[in-house]
Amino acid sequence: MFELTDQPIDSGALRARLTRPEAGACVVFEGWVRNHHAGRLVTHLEYEAFDELARLEGEAIAAEAEEAHPGCLVLCVHRTGSLPVGELAVWIGVASAHRHAAFLACRQVIEELKRRLPVWKKEHHPDGAAEWVNCTAEAAAGRLSSENYYERQVALPEVGATGQAALAKANVLVVGVGGLGSPAALYLATSGIGRLVLVDAGLVEVSNLHRQILFTADDIGVAKVTAATARLKAHNPLVQIEPILTEVAAGNVRALVAGRTAVLDCTDNFATRFLLHDACRLAGVPLVQAAVYRFEGELNLFDAHAPGCLHCLWSGREVNKLESMATCAGEPVFAPAVGVLGTMQAAEALKLILRVPGASDFQHTRLVNLLDGSIQSIERPVDTFCPVCRQPNAVVSAIVAPASEPVVIDADKVATMQPRHLIALLEPGEELDLSSAPPYSIALPIGNLVQVRELARRGPTVLACRHGLRSAALARMLRGEGMHNIYAQAGSFAAIRIAH
Amino acid sequence: MSATLQVQIKFFAVLREQAGVSALDCTTSARTPAELYQELQTSRGLQLPAALLRVAINGRYTEMDAQLQAGDRVVFIPPVAGG
Repeated sequence: MFELTDQPIDSGALRARLTRPEAGACVVFEGWVRNHHAGRLVTHLEYEAFDELARLEGEAIAAEAEEAHPGCLVLCVHRTGSLPVGELAVWIGVASAHRHAAFLACRQVIEELKRRLPVWKKEHHPDGAAEWVNCTAEAAAGRLSSENYYERQVALPEVGATGQAALAKANVLVVGVGGLGSPAALYLATSGIGRLVLVDAGLVEVSNLHRQILFTADDIGVAKVTAATARLKAHNPLVQIEPILTEVAAGNVRALVAGRTAVLDCTDNFATRFLLHDACRLAGVPLVQAAVYRFEGELNLFDAHAPGCLHCLWSGREVNKLESMATCAGEPVFAPAVGVLGTMQAAEALKLILRVPGASDFQHTRLVNLLDGSIQSIERPVDTFCPVCRQPNAVVSAIVAPASEPVVIDADKVATMQPRHLIALLEPGEELDLSSAPPYSIALPIGNLVQVRELARRGPTVLACRHGLRSAALARMLRGEGMHNIYAQAGSFAAIRIAH
Repeated sequence: MSATLQVQIKFFAVLREQAGVSALDCTTSARTPAELYQELQTSRGLQLPAALLRVAINGRYTEMDAQLQAGDRVVFIPPVAGG
């Protein structure tokens, strides 16, 4: 709640209004009129407000803090009129179950209020002189503005005023605010990305702190997106940060990526990586993806409009690596590795938005090794039969379409289900070992989509392949075409062997 | 030819002092607050650089390049100093 008043503020009465049995903490900030400013003596301050807008903005600031820090109750009162030294000019109280959220919310309210509440103060000095604070030429020169904040960046010929304006108009989604997301979001924010959207469902844990540099020990137990938003706003108050506390799932991924200038995948698991990739492809949004394994990392840029996608990359040849990198939850991590890769993600996103000629490489995977200090570029495979990027119309819609039933099911479930067909999708050089395959198994070349569709029309059909990824991608695609009885068997299908 | 609009302008703090009035009804050919401020810099001797200003129309913050409509209540917001 926010109030403007021309009467002296009674802090005791305000504090009493916040009292409630469920509150275990109350953080109060009081702004007082002091007798000096910038080396000059001050006798009194005169506060003036644009009443109509101040009340609206004040309410909005209080509501935003309550929303960002659930369970906090905010009360804020600002004075107008002539105030002598020692007088209370602003009072902010936040009651909450726990102190940490109350401190954060209180800090947020005062910083936002100073940034945007349409209230002005005139300083009066003993010699009779007076001036409006922040409105003098000296104050203007030292004031944080987009002119001086980005000065050293705009001076780059690759940026310039046009580039800086493009960054200010950009709307970038960062999924995963952890080891990669911390430096990525930090550089995007300080570079002036106008709207930065952060998605993560996690809370800050002690074991995150060695590598997730947006967080401090004070943030333990706080939602990562909340702590990150406060930190990023402190770094650059000129940009808009939007926290979204959620997991990325089939049901929300399309809405999350829609309309973004670029998406950064800073997650640590393969399921989300495919989901985001497919949603970006569908929405036509460029994707900057990174993954880290111990001292090493890799970086990929995906152009949503050209052949060569994540499915091509993982079409089966590097499965050992895939499995080891499948999730890094609980894995050992060398902190600078996520720092370097996250920073590289920010660099790639910025270059994309700035349209620096020749600076965005969509054809190679960059492998970074911090043990030997090397960076290698490896050309990415483009799969001629890719069920995703080679099927421009069928595309991935399916992959991201919420399915009523799970698409990928365990081998045990397949056995219980007794499908009409289990189609083993074979790559060149592979064959189906009939002695170990279930009786309803048949073999088809991986590119034969026509036949797969035909068979799937006849009854419950399970797709399998040597590594379980392409079959899953294809099954999801067919689900999206309306084939409700199609499934994929989880994991690698043991009955596929290398042909002799 | 350029059509003109009737708008209502309110001044606060340093701008009120520079303009010498706290409100003004004015007929303008400006299309945006940025153009309107430029006119006022000349006609009322406003000295605060436009780059330091924000603007509110009809009680809401908006952009300096927003489209002005007849009857708009325009407020130029000097750098704020609450707290």
